[in-house]
Amino acid sequence: MAVDFGSDEWASKFKDEVNRSAMYKAAARGWKWTVGLVVEAEPDKNFPDSVGVVMDLFDGEARDIKVGPPSEAQACQFVITAPYTRWKQVATKELDATKGMLQGKLKLKGDLPTIVRYTKASQELTECTTRVPVRWPDES
Amino acid sequence: MLGGLIEANVDSRAERRRDFDALAARVGIWVTDIDEGVTLDFQRGRLVVHNGLQPRRDITIRAEADTVMSLSNLRIGPFGLPVYYDEVGRGVAMKLLRRRLRIDGLLGNLATVNSVTRIFSVAG
Repeated sequence: MAVDFGSDEWASKFKDEVNRSAMYKAAARGWKWTVGLVVEAEPDKNFPDSVGVVMDLFDGEARDIKVGPPSEAQACQFVITAPYTRWKQVATKELDATKGMLQGKLKLKGDLPTIVRYTKASQELTECTTRVPVRWPDES
Repeated sequence: MLGGLIEANVDSRAERRRDFDALAARVGIWVTDIDEGVTLDFQRGRLVVHNGLQPRRDITIRAEADTVMSLSNLRIGPFGLPVYYDEVGRGVAMKLLRRRLRIDGLLGNLATVNSVTRIFSVAG
């Protein structure tokens, strides 16, 4: 059943998908940093307030994924920021996250060598988001 | 992003800094699946990043985004040479053979290619 993008239910399903992924578990072995996703508001897309997603990822496991204010996501060790539309493109496979970061469409803050070392893990995280059925605010 | 990656790599590892300080070369990187690229102008301890491919390049790397990331994950082995016998290295070598990774100017600039690979490498 589809869930609202950016809701607690969405975060919970996303976490379940991550923990179901054997590929993520293998690729993220050794990862021990928090990741924040900042989804910037786009009022004209029926997404009026920015949202933060805080991901507590440790050694191939998602210990917690929760939705909250952007400030909490910005306090993470790695922060990826983009407007709502870009995140939707990523989650619907219209935009590859690696390409998006290379093009500056997704802004990354954090130690670049570390995140490049875990490219496969971040690609699989993106795959996990695509497996969560979502109701998008600009489509409802 | 590539400029930021090099900066972080050079700042965090002395051996990368030595390569960076010694390298004078113009390196083009063209990401084929997004049709965008940069020219990295290494000037012995200084780097200027230009958008797009600029003239007078010593080498030009053309590959998809994933492959560019794979290049950064090449391990550096004995004598400072990239390791092509592990999983990442084999993947890069296969892409070279299948022309999904092209390095124009490779033959005359092997030392430069190895230096650039070391500067890019985030692996051990």
